[in-house]
Amino acid sequence: MKVIGDGLHALSGSYVLDALSEPERESFERHLQHCALCTDEVRGLRETAARLGLAKTLDPPPQLRPRVLSAAYRTRQLPPPVAERIGLERRRRIPRLAAAVAAAALVVVATLGVTQVVTRHQPGGAPTANAAISRVVTAADAQTETARTSAGGTVTVVVSAGQRAAVVSATGMRSLPASETYQLWVIGPHGARSAGLLSRTGQVGPVLASGVASGDRIGITVEPAGGTASPTTTPVIAVPA
Amino acid sequence: MPRMRGMRRTEIRQLRPDSSGTADTERDPDLAALLARVARGDHQAFELLYDELAGPVYGVVRQVLRDPAQSEEIAQEVLLEIWRTASRFDPAKGSPPAWALTIAHRRAVDRVRSENASSRRQEKAAVGHDALEDDVAEVVAATLDGQRVRRCLDGLTELQRESIKLAYYGGYSYPQVAKLLGVALGTVKTRIRDGLIRMRDCLEVDW
Repeated sequence: MKVIGDGLHALSGSYVLDALSEPERESFERHLQHCALCTDEVRGLRETAARLGLAKTLDPPPQLRPRVLSAAYRTRQLPPPVAERIGLERRRRIPRLAAAVAAAALVVVATLGVTQVVTRHQPGGAPTANAAISRVVTAADAQTETARTSAGGTVTVVVSAGQRAAVVSATGMRSLPASETYQLWVIGPHGARSAGLLSRTGQVGPVLASGVASGDRIGITVEPAGGTASPTTTPVIAVPA
Repeated sequence: MPRMRGMRRTEIRQLRPDSSGTADTERDPDLAALLARVARGDHQAFELLYDELAGPVYGVVRQVLRDPAQSEEIAQEVLLEIWRTASRFDPAKGSPPAWALTIAHRRAVDRVRSENASSRRQEKAAVGHDALEDDVAEVVAATLDGQRVRRCLDGLTELQRESIKLAYYGGYSYPQVAKLLGVALGTVKTRIRDGLIRMRDCLEVDW
């Protein structure tokens, strides 16, 4: 099931330049809440837009300073966003609640695949992996697919044929018991190859996969802990990139 | 950004090219610290913050709105907004200048769009675009940051550059940009994104 395509993802640039209509802006912001990759991209592009702005620095009229300062001291400030933080924590717990939802196996398939999971993108992770992830996500030929999975939540796959790599991330998949794991696969013309084990929490990535060949597909299945040599469950969703 | 800051940053980059990532991540720690003090109602910190951000904020607003009186009014609103919402600044989500300029640009564009509802300004602004830009550009060329941005803009394709300038500096929506440039909507969306990505890499933005 195709949820978003390149159309929405390509709006990131127009979004940071405030060039979207109000309804488009709202729909893109809703999309951002579920797309960690887009959020990363928006952050970098927003800093870039700021540099465009900084280049236009102009001395403001001198009378502005006393006016702003005196107005400020007559204006009550907003409190820090304590309630919003609690909201975020609750949202992060949803994957565990989703465990109640019975789900068979897999997940998502995109047309390009992986030969190898290079690294996980986590706090303290290797900066080179972050840079490589960023290169794939922002590649001119990057194709983005987001699909709901039968294990709940959504999976986003960004593939770049030019970079011969893909970035996979997932949120809200059900948390697996210790006896099981999520496993990433390359599905090529000669069958599926394991591309590594993924966190059983259902929160994945962004994970970088390099050595992607055109025509390959990416799949995630639920397997016994420790993984298997070949998939024992069938992908239930296929999304052409 | 004040000129001195820009120069210092550039020097660090040139001396230690390998550490540019680190230098970028730790950029403007003083501004983040100032914002934290401002969030606690510290007047002195707000005065210091004003001196750092008023120029960029006014510059962006003026670039979009062009009219000095209107720009001053919106810049005042933006700077007050910065005071009022300082507690909402999250250093994990971006730098203080990016946060401030996001507010500034959006406010300026909101003003443009509400005026455009009567569609009168659209034609006027389209005609006046070049003259007004040159007017402000002279100040820009004098700063190192400005030179670097200009150089990176020159590295874009014509369509990328014009799309970005019309959208950011002109405050046009992407359908308006498409119309002004006589190209398809999808083309403009793509060029804006491609162009910004290229700008990001050229400016070595590390976020």
